[in-house]
Order: sequence, then structure tokens, then C-alpha cells
Amino acid sequence: MSHRITVDTGGTFTDVVVADAEGRLFVGKSPTSERAFEGVRGALEVAAEEMGVDLASLLADTSVFIYSTTRATNAILEGRIARTAMLLTEGFPDVLVLREGGKLHGFDLRTPFPEPYIPRRLTWEVPERIDSEGEVVAALDEAATRRLLESLPGHGIEAVAVCLLWANVNPAHETRIGELIEEILPDVPYTLSHQINPIVREYRRASSAAIDASLKPLMGRHLREIAEDLRAAGFTGELMAATSFGGAMHVEDLSERPIYSVRSGPAMAPVAGRTYATHELGAEDVIVCDTGGTSFDVSLIRDGAISFTRDTWLGPQFTGHLTGSSSVDVRSIGAGGGSIAWVDPGGLLRVGPQSAGAEPGPACYRRGGERPTVTDAAVVLGYIGPDTFLGGRMKLDVEAAREVLGRLAAQLELRLEQAAEAVLAVANEHMVRAIQEITINEGVDPRESLVVAGGGAAGLGIAPIVRELGCEQVLVPRTAGALSATGAQFSDIVAEFTASSFADTGQFDHAGVNAALAGLEAQVEDFAQGLRAKGIGGMHSELFTDARYAYQVWELEVPLPGTRIESAEDLAALSQAFDAVHERVFSVSEPGARIECLTWKARLHAPIGSTVVEALESGNGNGRAAEPARRDVFFEGAWHDTPVHRGGQLPKGAVVQGPAIIEEPTSTLVVPLASRVTVSDLDNYLLEVTR
Amino acid sequence: MSLADHADVQDAAGEERLDPALLAVIANRLDAIVREMTSTLLRAGRSAVINVARDFSCSIVTAEDELLSTAEGLPVHVFGSHLQTAEMRRLHPELREGDAFLDNDPYVGNTHHADHTILVPVFAEGLHLFTAVAKAHQADTGNSLPTTYMPFAADIYEEGAISFPCVHVQRDYQNVEDVMRMCRRRIRVPDQWYGDYLATLGSARTGERRLKELVDKYGVELIQRFVRQWFDYSERRMSHAISELPSVTVVGEGQHDSFGPFPAIPIRVEATIDAEAATVEIDLRDNVDCVPAGLNQSRATAVNNVVTGLFNVLDPDIPHNAGSFRRITVHLRENCVVGVPLHPTCCSMATTNVADRLVNITQSAFEGAGENLGVAQGGSGMSIGNAVISGQDWRTGGPYVNQLFIGNNGGPATAYCDGWVTWTLPVCAGLLYRDSVEIDEQKYPIHMRSLRLLQDSGGAGRFRGAPSAEIVYGPKRDPTSVIYSGDGHETPPTGIHGGLPGAGAHAEKIEHDGSRTPLPPLGQVTLEAGEWVVGVDNGGGGFGDPLEREPERVRHDVLEGWVSPAAARDLYGVAFTGAAQDETLAVDAAATAERRSSLGAARG
Repeated sequence: MSHRITVDTGGTFTDVVVADAEGRLFVGKSPTSERAFEGVRGALEVAAEEMGVDLASLLADTSVFIYSTTRATNAILEGRIARTAMLLTEGFPDVLVLREGGKLHGFDLRTPFPEPYIPRRLTWEVPERIDSEGEVVAALDEAATRRLLESLPGHGIEAVAVCLLWANVNPAHETRIGELIEEILPDVPYTLSHQINPIVREYRRASSAAIDASLKPLMGRHLREIAEDLRAAGFTGELMAATSFGGAMHVEDLSERPIYSVRSGPAMAPVAGRTYATHELGAEDVIVCDTGGTSFDVSLIRDGAISFTRDTWLGPQFTGHLTGSSSVDVRSIGAGGGSIAWVDPGGLLRVGPQSAGAEPGPACYRRGGERPTVTDAAVVLGYIGPDTFLGGRMKLDVEAAREVLGRLAAQLELRLEQAAEAVLAVANEHMVRAIQEITINEGVDPRESLVVAGGGAAGLGIAPIVRELGCEQVLVPRTAGALSATGAQFSDIVAEFTASSFADTGQFDHAGVNAALAGLEAQVEDFAQGLRAKGIGGMHSELFTDARYAYQVWELEVPLPGTRIESAEDLAALSQAFDAVHERVFSVSEPGARIECLTWKARLHAPIGSTVVEALESGNGNGRAAEPARRDVFFEGAWHDTPVHRGGQLPKGAVVQGPAIIEEPTSTLVVPLASRVTVSDLDNYLLEVTR
Repeated sequence: MSLADHADVQDAAGEERLDPALLAVIANRLDAIVREMTSTLLRAGRSAVINVARDFSCSIVTAEDELLSTAEGLPVHVFGSHLQTAEMRRLHPELREGDAFLDNDPYVGNTHHADHTILVPVFAEGLHLFTAVAKAHQADTGNSLPTTYMPFAADIYEEGAISFPCVHVQRDYQNVEDVMRMCRRRIRVPDQWYGDYLATLGSARTGERRLKELVDKYGVELIQRFVRQWFDYSERRMSHAISELPSVTVVGEGQHDSFGPFPAIPIRVEATIDAEAATVEIDLRDNVDCVPAGLNQSRATAVNNVVTGLFNVLDPDIPHNAGSFRRITVHLRENCVVGVPLHPTCCSMATTNVADRLVNITQSAFEGAGENLGVAQGGSGMSIGNAVISGQDWRTGGPYVNQLFIGNNGGPATAYCDGWVTWTLPVCAGLLYRDSVEIDEQKYPIHMRSLRLLQDSGGAGRFRGAPSAEIVYGPKRDPTSVIYSGDGHETPPTGIHGGLPGAGAHAEKIEHDGSRTPLPPLGQVTLEAGEWVVGVDNGGGGFGDPLEREPERVRHDVLEGWVSPAAARDLYGVAFTGAAQDETLAVDAAATAERRSSLGAARG
């Protein structure tokens, strides 16, 4: 029982990473299939072959399997969720319609207003009301509630979400409705807002409850299925699933709270980034970029800790859906090789937002694409070799790329290659901007951070991107093509517990807060006991509060200096901790000002992740550099005769001066002029640019 | 003129053309700077009007007083910061690094007294290159009543706000403490004001730091060249958009409804499109004189709001800066209610009410330019759901005063889609955040009884106006003052191209015994525990003939409760089989065609 398998099932590809007893990693990739295990098996077979074992014995010899899937995210984005009833406090039926307002562009009157996550026709008002102090203003009308619940099967309801005003302060009415659901609709899964996300702000709580309930039937089925398939294939170890906290939990627990599965794949990328950054360079502030086929994800590690947010949107900001719950902060923009380049009516070169996607795809795919894309530009410049794309599985048509780019160049009155360089520069700029947005919001200076780049297309533009950001180094792991699955190899069990207890440092409610903290501790202990029963030890937990200066409304997450707030010194320490975070994020602070604490959180880590970081195991046995192939590649206005290295052929410690190209089976690293790559002891690429 | 008309590497002025990628990169960088300023102010601001509603804007102006970048700014704040920087230079010819100025003077370039603007001149290599501008609506500005909106004030003396006509607030990066003391004496919530001041200043200083880095990286000469070429590009985009319109003069007429002792204020907007010259001229001179009340426009808002109305009908991708402004001329008259107010005329309400009407009347006037042009009118007015509430909070022992942002005016329908639901006001076009019921109840000692969107309140049309909301709230224990300034109770937002108007607004008080008393559309009411206010806002106007609305959309509207079965039948002419209740509702195509043709015929 010595192997550990991690899987990231994306919309297109399933990535697996297998670690052997020595911590060496093997990567496999295969197309995703409807029955998820089919794709997993395909990818596992690739890895198993490389390891020289068969699939059955690999699975039989695996102690931990961590599964991550986009199934929940895609179900939401594609509207394939359960038919869910939303129960809200009487008088306030439009919580999911009105949301929190906001819109991206003031002068854009052409974007339709989003539909609510749960339609109004499936939303019901429950006669009851609790006020902000937790007092019952109107008792729950049980008879009316019973009648309502009894009517739900007639509406074809498959799940129920409940969010009552101030349930975060006094959950009595929600709890009672939960009991009534179990009595009247025993087979219908449900979610109570105070249990899934007990924070103030009714929209966020309602959205969390709605999303969670709506995923329960689907994710329950899906996770059961994968468990059965794995068992049938001979796996007898511990089956875990990745979560939006960048950690893992047992699949049974995730089935109970499937909202944590949302965007769990992207949340694993920073775990990989943190591990490599620490082991390779001891870096504490890290920007992690993951370039997929159609999206570019950025996340952040600050002082060695992964940044979290409560503003996770599924789909675009303001027109998508806010999960409302705390998760790893991963910003995503639509950008990729398929983004189309065009010239606007003012003569400016633009890239995206329209994309040729995979079908018809870039012109060089020869599948009918007639507009120039980022991939076409990379082909014209020689960054992507026409014969080695996707390990040679797909031939690219250079002439088709030159033709569509040529038309664009004529419009811009530029030479073909200049136009192609400009297209890549504009595309890179979108990514620079995505990185700036997340670092700006956290008060992080990119120049003092290490960039870790993953994803198949990461290497194409990462050098100019980090140069624009003012960074000097970027680490490109050799597992770049499967960054999330790699991250899962190093992930711990992470569980978060939240309690609401409003407290103002001006007249601090010590009793209320300490009771909330004690309650959190009890929940953590309860959860920890469950883990210990499974033989997992070495847990530790941290306490946080979401706090703000009086009159502010957006809270900052602050680690608590102690476990209780008893004395004046404890309170002063809390204030100082808050001032420090505020100063860091906004460059101003106001020591001595009143601070309002809204929610209290406990985050538990149970180390199950590998702490052994070893080199990727593939191909490069003899330690001598093979003679690279060569081709002409265009850099900074001229063609250069450029060596093209095959990934596995570069030994540890090798230094490659730009210009050069390094081709891995699933990714390409472009090393421009005035930059160089060093192959690290762990076989990763450290790219340094000169400013 | 397009880029293709230029010589290979030189533009018309004989200047070397920037690499197209570099142009995009620097433009993006400037946007990023404004976004960082915005993020700083949003998250560090203290008052709800800033950090909940985001009633503030940041911009970058060149040293020649040309507006360069306003990413994410509220439409009502876009135009005018360059007037303020010009005034700053006029009053303080010897600008120095480390200076910061506070301006809220409505007679030169500011919007109204309630918007405190911080101006920070940015230097590089000893040259004043840019001014970073952050403007934020205050919770209180020391008015004679606890509100920043004074509709009935005859002049600025009755209004009572302290005026800061481009006043020095920092020298060498240090506060001018005299000004801090003045504000602390005359503003009702001094700590909150100071927190907001720090956030606004921090925002402008962030802009300063980032602009210096930008110039360091690219050099003064290249950045100046960028600015010229970016303005030229923006102007080309604007020319192109205007040249696609017909050459025509359109006239929009409407009014701000009567308020208190004042009759309605008629408003007339005349816009002339010259497609060949690619210009638009907007004339506001044929309007009444300033009124002895707070509803007058300031110069900045009069221009801004008609320009917003114009931008609303054009491609939203056009940059909104001094380059695109070159193609627009706005004619104003002194002492005109939608013109240039003279001291001591009160402009306390210059950013809402008449301002909202100006946006509405302008955007809907372009109906006259041709099929599918123009935008219907959106809900306007700041009634009960957007009132300023104040009183004493027994929970903290202190006073509170702030504006609620929890009502809902429905947005206007356009040729592209139904109205945006959380529209709030034409001057902010849905950008504002809404309050959470729970946050409001936690921050203020009030209790919300209900908040719901109203059926059939959005104007019918091929595209439908968005619905309005009804809100009911009152104090929990001690009395609460509610000061509000609604509109649209007599003339609700109109539809265009055959679209119908949105529903009208009204306000009521629920007495101890449950009886209802109508409230005036603008006013102040003090509620005791057990008394409630009811506010109903405007629905948005519709676009196009309701009989042309896709029947499936009408079905969806009925299922979702936006449109009643009666309205579906009588206004949209859609016939159904089945029932909404069990979702068997289906469009009866033949009966719908028949009903639509008879409804059409009945109109004549």
C-alpha cells in the first residue's frame, strides 16, 4: 500500500498524478468521459505503463486516492442542477434576484440581467421572522410550513434550500424546518443556510444554501459511482475528494456538502505552487498561474499561506453566481490559444473575448477556423512546432496560420511577424492584468513574488508576462501540464467551521465570542475524532475572524492571536492584528479605532499530503544532454536559429540560454532572448529574465 | 480617418507611431491604476454610501486638464474632474509634489457639495504630468438637515454644507490640520468622515505612486506620446460610431415631477447628429432658469448627464475620455436649471433627480434617429428605499446618519435586452451595490418588514422594462428620521418605439393603527416604533411594440411572475394553454397570432 493517486477531471482532459513510495511522480492524461472512471482509467494506464506496472496492481497497491472534478462547477454553469425549492422569510422573496447589485460597465446596456439561481416559481415564503438581535418577531407558522412542504412533490422538487433572515444568529426556525423536511420529505436532500455558511448577508447565505442543495442529488450519485468503480477495479485504500479550500475531505463528507466541490480543481493549483516554491527556492510570496485551454487562472500565496476569498463567482462577476462561501481565491479569465485577434474601428489591435475554441479552433488546425488566433501567432513565430504539437499527435498548418495573420498584419500595416508578436503581447497583457487584479486586492507587490506557471500553454508567454510584472524568476514545474492533480499530491485534509457572533472592540461581547470560539473548538474536535478513528493524526487548527473598522462593510480575514479573548491585552492583541492586516492590504491603518468582528472561523489541517518532493520520473536517465533539434524562431524583430530541447533530455543543473524552446509532451516552454533556464534538482525549470 | 491613412510609422502630426501592442499595454496599465485606486477606496471607505453603494469614482487627468482614464467610474462622475484640475492649476499655480487638494465647489467643476474630491498632482522628473482624482459621496457634509440631499434649500446658505473650493489639504504629504479641524466641527459623523477622507486620499496617493512607476518604466516622452495617440484613437472610435448614425436633430422633452411647493421642472434636450462631420451637438439652453431649490444642475453634471445619455446609445466599448469628448459639444446657459448655476444657487441634488431625468430624456430622444436607436427611460428618484435615515442608536449610544440603498428602480429596455433589474438610478446605471437587509438592520436600529419586486411594474415592450420594488421599514425602538426625494410619481419612465412606460412611484406611511397615509414624493418623516414607511419605486420603460415580444419570453415572464396573465393577454396579446401553477403553461401560437392581429387592428 505505497502509492498515492490524485486525479483532476476537467471538462476536456483527465489528469492523473501517481506518486510511488519514494515520492517520484508519474503523470498521465486522457480525454474525460461521461462515466468519469473511464477517463481516469485511461490516464492511469498511461502512468502505469511508464511505471512498468499494470493498472490492477497499481490500484491494489494505492493507499490514498484523491479525486477532483469539475462536475459540480459545470453542472452549475450549464444549468444541469437538481430542481430545487428555495424557502425564504415571508416578505423577502427576491433575495436571489436582487443579489447585491453591481454591474461591470456603466455604459453597457446590452448585457441581459442574470436569471436567479433558483427561479421565482420555485421560491416560497415561510411565515416567520427573527430580528438582528436574534429575537423571534413572528413565530414560525408550522401548519403553513407543513402544507408548503407537502405541496413540494407536486412541483417535482428534488432538493430544498432554506435561508431565513438572521438564521446565522438564531437558527431555531431553520432547524425546525429541517426537522419537518425529514419528517415530510424523508428522501429529499436539503441544506439549511446556517449550517452551510453561517454569515451575515442574506444573499450570500441563500446562494450558498441554494447551490449546495441543488448539487446534492447529482454529486451524491457521482461520488458513489466513482467509489464503486474504483472498488470494482481493485482499489481498497482511502478515497478522498478535493475541495474548494485547497484540501481534501472524505467523499462521504463531500456528498453532504457538495458546494465544497465547486472549483476544487483550480484550488489545488496553488497547493502545487506552494510546495514547489518552498522546496525549490524557499519562497513565501508566490503567484500561481495555470493556463488551461480556454481559461487562465491566478491564485496567490502570501507568507506561505494560500489566499482565501468569500467572493467566488461561478461565471462572470455580477452575472454569474456567487458561492458566498470561503474558498481559495482563484481568479479566472477567458484567455487561451483560441482567442481571436481583430482590429477595432479605431485601428487598435484587440485579442478576445471571442474565441475560436477547440472547434473550429485556430486556422492552423485546418478545421475551418478563418480568423487569426493566439495559437496561429505562436505558430507563425515558430514558438509552437507544427510537427511536435501535443507530442506530434496533431499536425499544424503553418501556411494557414501565416495567411490569416497576414490579413491582420495588412490591416495594421505591420510585417507579418511583427503582427504576430503584437498579438501575443496583447494576449499576455490580459494575463498581466489578471495577475495585477488579484495582487492589487491583496496589497501584494508582484515584484517581490515568485511566479509558478503551470498548464499546457503556460510556457508560451510566461517570460514576457513576468518581465512586464517586474519579476525576475518564474518556476515552471515539469508537471506543469497537470498542476492541479500535482497539487492534490501535497494537499492536506482541510475543513473550515464558521460561527457568527457580532462583537465590537468598543464594548466587546467576551461571553458571546468565547462561546462561539468554544463552539468552533468543539466542532473541530468532533471532526478530528472522526479522522483519528480513520488513523489520521497530527492535526492542527487555526482561528480567524472576519473583521472591519466600525462603519466599514467589507471584512478582512485576521488570524486570532490566541484561542480566547478574555483580557484587555487579548483585545489589544486582536486590534493590533487587524491593524496590521489593514495596513498591509490598504497601506493605511487607524490604530485605536473600533473594530467590528462578524464571523469567527476555525480551519483544521490534517496532514495527509506527501511531504516528500521528488523529481518527475520520466525519460531522462543518462544525465547527459542530448543534441537538440533546431528551428527558426522569431524573437524581438528577427529570426533566430534556435535549439529545441526535448524535456526529458536535459539533465539536472543544465543551463539553457535564450533563445531556446523546451518541449514537454504536454507543454512548451519558450525561452526568449535575455533569459535563461536552469533545470533544478527536482527537474523543474527555473526561468530567469533580465530586466 | 483611420490608422490606415497614416504613413507607415508616423502619424498625421509627423510623430512616431507607437507599436500597437504597446498602445494596448499602456492603456491597460492606466486602467489597472484606476482600478487599484477604486479598490482602495471601496474597501477602505467607512460610510455605506462609499463601501456598500460605491458612490465614488476615480480618474486620471493629464496636466493639460484632459480626462484620460475613468475605469469603472459612475457615469455621473465621469465628466468634470478635468474642470476641477483646471481650477486647481488656476488657484495654485505653484503646484508641488506632496500637495493634495479638497474640492467640492459646484460652481466650477465639481458635481455637488456632497462629493468630496481629492486632487493629487503627480510629478515625474520634476514635471507635473498627471493629476490623480478620487471623488466620493460623503455620509454627511454639515448640511442644515441630516442629509446630503437638500431639495428645498433656497441657496447654499440654507443648504449649509461647508464649501471647499480647491483647498490645500496636504502639503509635503502631511495633512493641513486647519481643514481637518473645520471638518470635524461641522460634519455630524466626524470619525466616519475622517475614515472616508483617509480612504479617498489613500486612493489618490495610490494613483500617484503607480503613475510615477509607469513613467519611470516608459519615460516621459513615450508616455506623452501615448496620451496623444490614445486620445486620437478614442476620437476615431467616437467618429466611427457617430458616422454610422443618420444626420438628424432629435428633441427630447420631459420633466422632473412637482415637489413640495414647487411645480414640475420642464426639461428639453435638443441633439443634432452630423454624421458626415461625425459630431453631436447637444443644446440645453432652451430651458427654465435656476429654481430657488436644490434641484439645479451644476455645470459638470449638466454636461455629464447628456453625454451619458449619448454614450448609453453607442457602443459601450468606446473609451470615455477627452478624445471621444472632442466629437461632442454641449451648449449651456448661465442661470439655467440644466446649465451653469451662479453663486449662491443651490445644487445640492445635482447628481440625482433632474440629473436622472437628463440622462433619461437624452437617451430616449435618440428614438427619433431611427429604428432600434435610443434607449427607453429607466426608473429614477431616491424615494423611501434610498432615503437618508438618522437618529440615535440605543445599542451604541451614538447617532447614526446614512443613506440606504435598498429600494429598486427598474432599468430601461434597449434594442438588445430587457431592463437591468438592479438599476438604482440612470446616473449610476446599475453600478451601485445594494444593501443587505441584514447589514442594514445590524448597522441601524431599523427593522425591514418586506422587500419585493412588483408584478407588471416594468413597461411592456418587445424588450421589457425591469420591475420596481416595494419596501416597508420602520424603527425598532427610538424615532428615525427619513429624508427622501422621489420622482416619477406623475410622469413615470417612458418607453420608446412603442414600448410602454414603467410603473409610477409613490410613498406612504403606515400608522400605529395600520391605516395608510400618503406621503409627499419628496420630504422628511419621523417615525416612531410601530410606524412604517412604504416606498414604491419606478419600473423601467419598455422598448418596441409589446405585440412583437417573443411569445416564449412572455411565457417565461408569466411563469416567473414578472407579468400577470391579464397583462400577457391584454398588452402582449399572448394566449396560453395550460396553467402557470403546474408549469403546463404553453404558448398557443394560433390564438396568439389572432389576438395580436386584433389588438393591432384595434389601435388603428
